[in-house]
Amino acid sequence: MSSKFVIGRRKVIKSTGALAALAAVGPFFHVRPALADKGELVVVSWGGSWAKSMREVIFADFEKASGLTVKDDTPPENAKLKAMSDAGNVTWDVLETDLPAIQTMIGNGLLDPMDYSKIDKAKLDKIPKELHSSHAVGNKLYSFNIVYNSKTFPTGRHPKSWAEVWDGKAFPGSRSFAFRGGISPQLEIALLADGVAVDKLYPLDVERAWKSMDRLRPLVKKWYQGHAEAIQLVTSGEIDIANTVGSRGITAKRAGAPIDVEYNQGKLGADYWCVTKGSKNKKAALEFINFALDAKRQAGMVQRDPYGPANADAFNHLTAAEAKDLTTSPENIKRQFWINEDWWGKPGADGKNENQKQKERFAEWMLKKG
Amino acid sequence: MTPASAAAAPALAARYWRSRPGLLVLFCLAFFAALYLYPLAKLFVWSLYGPKLGLANYERLFTQASPFIAFRNTLDIAVIVTLVCLALGYPIAYLMTTVGPRARAAISLLVLVPFWTSILVRTYAWIVILGKNGIVNQALTDWGVVARPLSLLYNMFGVQVGLSHVLLPFMVFPLYGVMARIDMRLVRAARSLGASPARAFLHVFLPLSLPGVAAGCVLVFVLGVGAYVTPALLGGEGEVTLATLIELMIRDLLDWGFGATLGVMLLTVVGTLFVAFSAALGLDRLTGRG
Amino acid sequence: MDPRPFTIGRTVLWAYCSATLFFLIAPIVIIAVVSFNDTAYIQFPPPKWSLRWYRNFFESRQWIEPALLSLRVAAIVALAATVLGTLAAIGLVRGRFPGRKALEFFFVSPMVVPSIVLAIGLYLLLAPAKLVATPTALVLAHTVVAAPLVIVIVGAALRTTDPALDLAARSLGASYWRALWHVTLPGILPAIASAAVFAFLTSFDEVILAIFLGGPSATTLPKRMWEGIKYEIDPTLTAVSTLLVLLPVAMMATAEGLRRLLSIRLRQAE
Repeated sequence: MSSKFVIGRRKVIKSTGALAALAAVGPFFHVRPALADKGELVVVSWGGSWAKSMREVIFADFEKASGLTVKDDTPPENAKLKAMSDAGNVTWDVLETDLPAIQTMIGNGLLDPMDYSKIDKAKLDKIPKELHSSHAVGNKLYSFNIVYNSKTFPTGRHPKSWAEVWDGKAFPGSRSFAFRGGISPQLEIALLADGVAVDKLYPLDVERAWKSMDRLRPLVKKWYQGHAEAIQLVTSGEIDIANTVGSRGITAKRAGAPIDVEYNQGKLGADYWCVTKGSKNKKAALEFINFALDAKRQAGMVQRDPYGPANADAFNHLTAAEAKDLTTSPENIKRQFWINEDWWGKPGADGKNENQKQKERFAEWMLKKG
Repeated sequence: MTPASAAAAPALAARYWRSRPGLLVLFCLAFFAALYLYPLAKLFVWSLYGPKLGLANYERLFTQASPFIAFRNTLDIAVIVTLVCLALGYPIAYLMTTVGPRARAAISLLVLVPFWTSILVRTYAWIVILGKNGIVNQALTDWGVVARPLSLLYNMFGVQVGLSHVLLPFMVFPLYGVMARIDMRLVRAARSLGASPARAFLHVFLPLSLPGVAAGCVLVFVLGVGAYVTPALLGGEGEVTLATLIELMIRDLLDWGFGATLGVMLLTVVGTLFVAFSAALGLDRLTGRG
Repeated sequence: MDPRPFTIGRTVLWAYCSATLFFLIAPIVIIAVVSFNDTAYIQFPPPKWSLRWYRNFFESRQWIEPALLSLRVAAIVALAATVLGTLAAIGLVRGRFPGRKALEFFFVSPMVVPSIVLAIGLYLLLAPAKLVATPTALVLAHTVVAAPLVIVIVGAALRTTDPALDLAARSLGASYWRALWHVTLPGILPAIASAAVFAFLTSFDEVILAIFLGGPSATTLPKRMWEGIKYEIDPTLTAVSTLLVLLPVAMMATAEGLRRLLSIRLRQAE
């Protein structure tokens, strides 16, 4: 029996060989992320058609110029970045998002200050000073608009103000607004719908805004999590009116979808480039930002997705017709208003800014009645 | 267990672990201890920090509205889906036991193909089918059954239809497993003694198939309670379930403590059902071997 | 089977079951049909047929990379889960010890533990080890959910084989491990093969662990599809879906063929 057991043990070692082989496979996988630290740049944007255009206009050329592989991810949320940072494993390098979100991330210590010395001065001179922030530099101007299905509401007979969007009787149909995914509640828009004048919006009357949201709620069939999802809901006819980024609606309209955009009372804001604190590719990240701010590339981006370019030189590369379609065309911009980034982003006495507070309240509001 | 055998048990166990089959189990045991038991233990520890050590998170289970709403929705979904699956699955399993081998193979193929099709594919298919311009609504409006498209998606109905489709095979297999071993001679005997087919079914076949009914229902219910993908894709925000609430807490609100607490709660519900059932009827039935 | 007389009851049963089977299979057929659409938006039936969305899938790095990663992860998971699960099944079925039932219960329990709970637990474990958002995390996580399946399948096969054969080999002087290798394992080889297929498919189709533990460099096909369903209008999804239906069907057919082949060989060997 005992001699058999010795043989048995040798066999055990042999059979553990299979497990050892398994363990050896592990490193095969470890190698990739390790390589990735040198050879990969992860750029995080709001996804959808914008990310697709970035791949065509910016990523492909940058990959050739730098030898790096560019991967994209979405959405650029504080929550996701903080979870990565807490775990000590930040896989994101460059983020493109709005200033209130960026200020939340700065508050959480998740971003590096913007190193303006690494961005060409010629480009910076053409980007308005308002878009030079301590930790981020402006990339594009967007706005939240009334995006509607043009089969349900033929253009001309569509809702033209937020008050009309709130009016379920005159404009029957389902609505979709953002919830989660890092998008703040649309309190300005709720106030406009409630009759507050544009120049009297700030500081926001938060209680009044949430009361107005209470009235909107029964009309909302689906709360979307990403702008691309909102566009999909409207083009598929599932939703008749969405509050989302107008530029994306125009892109879908150009592709032949039954969708249109009303710019009146749109909420204008800017998306900025920033670099994460835990990024293992800081140098490449800044090179990428500098690359992306090039006037020609900015023009290429807004040709595909008609936002507003941060670099004013981009207009030199656009035809008059292309410029007219932009979020920031003279025709469109005069009917919209600017978000007050300070109201949302400045930390209060408790260290939290309104962006965080109102988002927490949003979740509470959503779940209380669900 | 007598005191004597209880005392003998550790000695027996020790002997087993030294014996060779014991060594084989150890590999898997070590793996599961590290990557299954330990993570769940970690989850439990996190639930105790809210953020200070204590039961603050567990208090929130009872003081906040959202866990209650999520729990109610989860039950709504799981109960309806279980009933629908039973109503659809029982006749299928019964038919499989009473037809020839070729028809049986064909039927089981029709159940197996969806079973092995990715849950995402099936859920996506329901989005295409139930959408406002989807196939169902197109047909209904074309035939003039309804004037305006119905709302079939992003509500409770959509979730229940989608999940019933996903879980139906989990009802059919345990049911068939039990039914296949029912001695049909008993049913025939009842018939020859003058019972009508309905009576023979009700008084002979049905009682014998009840263990399968119990197994299928528990399996579908447990999987329904824990489901995440279907409620997340086919539900609106109003249909928050325990699983989707956990995701919201953790990924959006970064409230890991409370998310972990909800996870422990979900695990307790599922675990209790599973343990109670295996104790009553044996594990074999649940894993489809029965 | 005795010929069934035509009765109203059976007609109703057949009609009812046909409707149910239609409910089961129709969504899959519909997806397959619309995948051959030529339009940019999903229409049923397709006004014009084409392979446009299949081309789009095979030409897009955004789809092919996740598909390849899924195949790689699933292959390793199939190997790992089959080895671990088979060893455990042999131990559980052939071993005799108190607490065996409890241990078996523990081993199959991951099959009913909600994936989201497991995902969060694994995140808490793997994040400090810097393994989150790597393929390794996916391999480890998927092995946890695939191994129980192997234990169930191989365990069932072991219960139907005769342990007397092993004992006979042992009595002829073979060591335990020799008997295991030459007698026990070949007897359950068909079951091991199909268990490996099931383990592969379990990993290949897994969604929730992939969403929580994956990342930009560890995106599996289900994770990519999840993002697609949420954020895109692209009918490429229908083409991917159809391919995903064909894969398990093809693998099951192969597994069944393999099982039959192996059983025949075994019978001949006996």
